[in-house]
Parts: sequence; C-alpha cells; structure tokens
Amino acid sequence: MLVLEQLQRRFGDVIALDRLDLEVVAGELCGFVGPNGAGKTTAMRCAVGVTTPDAGTVAWEGRAVDLEVRRRIGYMPEERGLYPRMRVAEQLVYLARLHGLRSAEAAANVEFWLDRLGLTARRDSPVEELSLGNQQRVQLAAALVHDPVLLILDEPFSGLDPIAVDVMSEVLLERAAAGVAVVFSSHQLDLVEDLCRSVAVVDAGRVVLRGDVRELKRAGDRRLRVAVDGDPGWVAALPVDTEVVARVNGEVTVALGAEADPGEVIELARAGGPLLHVRLEEPRLSELFRDALQDRLPR
Amino acid sequence: MSPGTTVRLIAAREVRQRLRSKLFVGTTLVISALLTVLAALPALLGVFDPDEPAVDQPAEEADLPRLGVVGAMSVAERSAIEAAIGPIEVVEVADVDAGAAALTSATNDLVAVVGPGERVLVAPSGQLLRPGSVAATRVAEALALGELFSEEPDRVGEVLARPSLPVEEVGDVDPAEATARLVVANLGVVFLFAVLIMYASMIINGVIEEKGSRVVELLVATVPVRWLMTGKLLGLGIVGLLQTLTLFAPPLAVLLLPAGEAIPRGVGGLGVAIAGWFVAGYALYAVIAAGLGSLVSRPEEAQAVLTPANVLMIGGYLVGFLAINAPSSTFAVVASFVPFSAPYAMLVRQALAAPAWWEVAAAAALTLSSAAALTVGAARIYEGGILRTGARVRLREAWRAG
Repeated sequence: MLVLEQLQRRFGDVIALDRLDLEVVAGELCGFVGPNGAGKTTAMRCAVGVTTPDAGTVAWEGRAVDLEVRRRIGYMPEERGLYPRMRVAEQLVYLARLHGLRSAEAAANVEFWLDRLGLTARRDSPVEELSLGNQQRVQLAAALVHDPVLLILDEPFSGLDPIAVDVMSEVLLERAAAGVAVVFSSHQLDLVEDLCRSVAVVDAGRVVLRGDVRELKRAGDRRLRVAVDGDPGWVAALPVDTEVVARVNGEVTVALGAEADPGEVIELARAGGPLLHVRLEEPRLSELFRDALQDRLPR
Repeated sequence: MSPGTTVRLIAAREVRQRLRSKLFVGTTLVISALLTVLAALPALLGVFDPDEPAVDQPAEEADLPRLGVVGAMSVAERSAIEAAIGPIEVVEVADVDAGAAALTSATNDLVAVVGPGERVLVAPSGQLLRPGSVAATRVAEALALGELFSEEPDRVGEVLARPSLPVEEVGDVDPAEATARLVVANLGVVFLFAVLIMYASMIINGVIEEKGSRVVELLVATVPVRWLMTGKLLGLGIVGLLQTLTLFAPPLAVLLLPAGEAIPRGVGGLGVAIAGWFVAGYALYAVIAAGLGSLVSRPEEAQAVLTPANVLMIGGYLVGFLAINAPSSTFAVVASFVPFSAPYAMLVRQALAAPAWWEVAAAAALTLSSAAALTVGAARIYEGGILRTGARVRLREAWRAG
C-alpha cells in the first residue's frame, strides 16, 4: 500500500501541499483529480522522490520510499521526457537497467512492451522521429518496462487520440488487475469515472474527497434533470435541500439533498408547463468534483 | 544496484551517444590526420636532420664553440672538455668580464671562463650555455674529471657519455629540443584551452538536453541526482580522453618513429603530460559547467550562463601563454600551483623549465582536490536547478533548493 501522510510542501509563498493524506492499495486504480494548481503534480513528485516534502512521509508497504522502493515505481511525468535522439528500444533498455534489471531481462521486457503497444516497427527509430502519439506510447512503456509494483502517472491521457486512450485504459486496467497499485491524475473526469475504482479529489494541497467511485456517487446528491415546455420560473419555488446546478438547452438539473423529495420538485416543474422529459440519476463524478470544490469554483 | 553500476550505465550511454555522432567522429579523425601530417612535415623537410651541425656536434672549424680562458688551460683540461662536448676553440681572455664581453656575440660560444685557482662558468648568452644547462654542466664536469683522468682524457668522454649522469636530466641545450619543447608548450596550451572550452560546452548542452527534454525528471525518479551528474561527467570525460588520444597519438607516434630518432628526447613524454592535464583540467571545469548548466533550460542560454567558467578558462589560457615567455619566473611557478591556471602553467613549465616531479604531483593534487571540493557545490546547484524549467534559475535559489 502506498501511504502519503501529512505531506507539506511550500514553494516560496505558495503552499503546494497542505497536510495531504492519501492511501492506495495494491490492485487499486485510483484517479487523482483536482483543479490546476491543486497540488497533484507536487504530491506525485513527492511520491516518487523527485521532490522532497517539507514535512510528512511517503511509504510503500510500510517502508519509507527509499531508492530501493523508487526503482520499483513506474513514473510518467506530467511533461513528457525522453532522450529525443536516442533510439526507442535502446532507450527503454537503458531506463529498465537504471531500474535495476539485468541486461537480458531488460531486453525481453522491452520487446514485450514494444509489441504490446504496437511500437515494434519503430524500435530502432530515434524518439524525435515518432509521432506525438507514439512518443506517448514510448513514455508509457518507459513507465512499465521494469515491471513496477506501483504506477504513478501524471496526466497520462493528456493529448491522446481516442484509440490511444483505449490502449492506455486497457493497459492500466491490466496492471491494476495484476496487483499493481495505479495512481493517475487527469482532468478528464468522465474518463476517471469510467476507469477507476476509486478517486481522490485534491484542492489547495489537501484531499477533499476520497473513496470508492460508486459509493461516492451513491452517497452524493442525486440529480433530477427536468425539461418543461413553458416558463422556467418554477425553479424559484424549489424547496430547501435542493439546488439548481445546471441549465442547458432548457433542461434544468436539480441537486437533491438527502431529505429532498423528487416528486415535490416534479410537481413544481409541471406548474411551469407540460413535462418534456424527466430523469433521476446518481451524480456524475464531475458533479461530485464541483460539489467538493463548491466554495472555490464559479457556478 | 550499486552506485558504481548506475554511474557506469550513465557514463556508457554518454559515450555511446557521442561516438555515434558521425560529425563528432569525422571531425576528430580529420583533425587527427591534419595534425599527423603537420607532425611529419619537419622530418620530411629536414628540420630535425640528425646530420645537421649542433652545439656539441661541430662540423666545420668556423662553427666550433669558443671557450674563453683566463690564464693557461692545460692540455689535459682541454682534452677532457673536448672529450665531453666535442672540439672547441680556446680564446684567451684577461678576466671573466672580458671573456663574457668577447664571447657573447656568437650563438655557439661556450663562455666558460677558466682561471687559475678557480673555475667560473658564466652564461651571458643565456640560451646555449647558462648555468645548469647541459653544455655548462658538461664543461664543469669535464674540468673536474680532467684532473682525475689527466693521463687518459678519452675516459672523460666515456664517463660523461653514460646516460645515468645527472647531466642527462638538465634540459634544453639542444636547440632542436628547445624548439620542439617551445612548440609543444604553445600547442599544448592552445589544445588544452580548446578542448576544455569544447567539453564545458558539451557538458552544458548535455545537461540542458536532459533538462529541456524533461527526461531528467524520469531519471531522478530512480537515480540520485549526484550519481546522474557524476555519470554524465565521467562519460563525457572518457569521450574527451579518447578524443585527445585520437588527436595526439598518431602525430606523436610519427614524431617518435625510429626514423625520427633525432627528435629531441623528452618531447614525446609531454604528450602524456598534456593528456594528464586534460584530465585534471576537465575534472575542474566540467563540474562547474554541469552546475551552471542546471540553471538554464534552453541551449541559447548556455553561453550566457557559462560565462564565469569561460572567464576562468580564458584566464588560465592567458596565464599559460605568459608563462611560456618566462617558464622559470615566480609568476609561472605560482600560477602552476593555482588550480585554475595549473593545467596550463605547469604544462608550460614541464615543457620548458623541468620542474621537480613533486611540484607536478603537488599541482595535480591541488587541482584535483579543488575539483573534488567544487563537485560538492556543483552537485548541490545541479540538484537545486535541474528540475526547474522555464526561466533561468538564480544561483542562490538553486543553492538553497539543492
């Protein structure tokens, strides 16, 4: 299990991490989300040892993350980085060896991942000659080539085309199923919702929402989406414990608190005109995200 | 995995990448070929022709070195001197000053003034016969041995011909050797400056490449920053040494070929000194370049941030050239122990002034220990600056963050 405990990090006057706590168990695929500047990248850098926290601890399986542990982590930095003029296979072997693999083992792993990610034909090409999508695949291979027990990926889906997104998703699910703890950050909340078993929402250097995605959705305010053919002024009479959270193309989305009665809201809506459609749903992750950050985000 | 293995992996990658560059390898081979041709030219043009008359190998009566003598010189003394250094022309002079005045015009005069009761060697002409020079020492020894072997003057020559005699170590009386050493000193200083500048630039660009391409973040996630810097410096140092050997081994081999036996002794050994001072100079300047390189992210900023190192290198280079004009001066001696000028100044002294071995060892130790001390500081700056991209990082900020 990866444990980030009470991490603090300050850059000048900016507090990047403010007693951040996070636990990710083996086999868990955890989405790490938050607004820009929330502290995601700093937390991930602390987890892999690239940044040293001012206070707090990072541990894997009860052991402080030292060099030995870091060699078993697969890391994809937010800003991609590879030697542009180095050949793909040679570069991956080099990185695998820096993680402690023997030469033959590194070569075998490289061939496996080149094949798995569809890069075999480009194995001897310099990285700079590859398309951006293929460079992303090489970057993923670099994070995986040494059989890590923990994957920490900063915005791995950023800039990927839909096919590459599918490949990346498959690989992450495979790794998690194989017992690898996977943490990845993303702004694509729908993707995180579809892919992840759990999620951590970070804001201002702290985890403000953490848990199993399905449980969080079940526990969150349900959404009633209503459209009527008439005056939208009915929303002015909404009862307490409800809140309009969106109006799109005539459809009003009402967040229902724990005590709110959807039937009461529907009655109100009908007062405005005939119902066009009505749907009661669990909240989307993006809605939970907004709820968690409601004091800071513009409505 | 041990630090040594990691550093070796990093160094090996640097070596592979550089040696894979056709431009780098091609340029090195072309320059080496040009230097080899240049080295062969003097022999081809007869500059070092062994048959050419030299100080101790007179060919014609008119070229005989003249020896000023106060009072009488015995036959035995003259025989001993001639046995030692070849035929001479004896000129009787009134006293030492008169002898010096009379005998300083010709370049091959041996102004050894021999008086009754005392024997004084003076060397106003400086270059060919100064106290401690080979010829002066030989004359002095010949006079001393002349008394011992007054009945057998040829023995003097036999004894002095033995290579174990100290006279073999004194130095530069042979004009061909003096010329060669002067050339080596000049070329050595230029070469050191050129390669140190080139490798400082190569290091800084290598650091910027890793920083600019962001691969460094991937690397430091698994390799301590100091190991990374050490591996890079070691790898590029090996490349530099290989390049130095490639550039200089063929021309030196040409100079030392059996056909070129007339090439002055000891000149070939200066090649080793050049390589040695390259290693020490590289160790010193490379760590500075690595530390400074971590402060910037773009190649166009490299030269600006490298300015302090360049100033030091240019300063050392100028000191080296000044030392050539006065290799035995206090300035040259002091400069040869100051770490930033030692690679240049001590090389010059080795070429032109025959410093004691311990002086060379002390200068090397000072330079290398300074490099070791600088490595600690440079590593801290490297650690503080390497992950910060974008605008140039201030030295103080990097130091604090490291």
